[in-house]
Amino acid sequence: MNDTFEDRLLAQLKAEIVAREARTRVPAVRRIARPRYLAGAAVAAAAVAAAVPLVVGGHTPAYALTKNPDGSINLKINEFRDPDQVERDLATMGVPADITYLPLGKRCADGRAPFVEGDRTSFAKKDLESRDPAVQARIRRATENLASSKAIRPENGITIHPEFIGPGQIVMIEVNENPVEPDTGHPGVAWQFSGRLAEGPVQPCRVVDDPTAFEIGNATPPPGS
Amino acid sequence: MRRRQTGPADFACDPDAFEAFYRRHVDAVTRFLARRVDDPHTVADLTAEVFLAVLDSAHTYRPDRGSEIAWLYGVARNTVLAQRRRTARELRATSRIAGRRLLNTDDIARLEERVDAESPARLALEAMADLPDGDRALLELVAVDGLSPAEAAAALGIRQGTARVRLHRARRQVQRFPGVMELIGGAK
Repeated sequence: MNDTFEDRLLAQLKAEIVAREARTRVPAVRRIARPRYLAGAAVAAAAVAAAVPLVVGGHTPAYALTKNPDGSINLKINEFRDPDQVERDLATMGVPADITYLPLGKRCADGRAPFVEGDRTSFAKKDLESRDPAVQARIRRATENLASSKAIRPENGITIHPEFIGPGQIVMIEVNENPVEPDTGHPGVAWQFSGRLAEGPVQPCRVVDDPTAFEIGNATPPPGS
Repeated sequence: MRRRQTGPADFACDPDAFEAFYRRHVDAVTRFLARRVDDPHTVADLTAEVFLAVLDSAHTYRPDRGSEIAWLYGVARNTVLAQRRRTARELRATSRIAGRRLLNTDDIARLEERVDAESPARLALEAMADLPDGDRALLELVAVDGLSPAEAAAALGIRQGTARVRLHRARRQVQRFPGVMELIGGAK
């Protein structure tokens, strides 16, 4: 594809167009995914999950692991292409982590690690499946208060707040990147991640299909927000 | 080559429309630049600058006022003039896309050939250097870049009548400079 200078320049210019369009678009659509770690009926722990419908393509340098003045740590998607390195880098910052990098449409099977106490909620299964905006808003608010949601936030990429990580807990993050870069002509999720705190140890990822990854919604805010 | 025109907003907002626009004109733009600078790296930097300027100013393009190429040469001309006011170092520091970093050895060889091929045009442009600015701008676009007088007027944002007067005057003056008419092919 990118054989000549002209082709490479075109790719950069198109990325610039997408970036400009993204900047002028009103707030980035963020999808709070259906908490898929909810295995049981009543006892539930939710995961922080966010999808970024359209991020700028381009080939920015891979490095992006930054410590913010408030002590939080910021991670950028490219970094995840080498999950082992991210784990090592995070370890040097005092954060034990388990990072999995998968293509969009795949995910790790549930049950890799025990939930932490702070993630326990008591929504009934029918609430979790409810389409009632009021119920969904209540679940979303409760989800935002979970220990995992405080520790792992979909801010500026992914931001980890170590102050909410309890002793012995592990930051478990799964990143799914769309191998096909979405653009304005072919909208879709560029990448998404889900993450939660886990009481160790974490079992290896057993990869399963995730057909919901390709539902991109209609760019309206979640109900009740 | 005149093709179905997409709207002005389209090629700055829609990557596919932009690609079509870019592919129609990228060769003409690099040739335009190779007539004005003799270094492949600077040609690459300026090509990136010109198309970034296209994204910035696409809203100024009006299909009813002239062809895409006339408008694009106007943009390219402004980019070259702006570059001459700055040093190369400044240009690289401020550009959002560093064209020269996208070059490989094949590209450099190809752009060098293009620069060589345009050397008579560069000589002609040098020979016109002493003409008054407004007159020279028209003669450049018509005699060297191959636009019609009407297109050159659109590129410079002046009236066609004004363009004709200036062009006539420039041609007369240029006859006093030995060799210029030969360089620009006289008959044009």
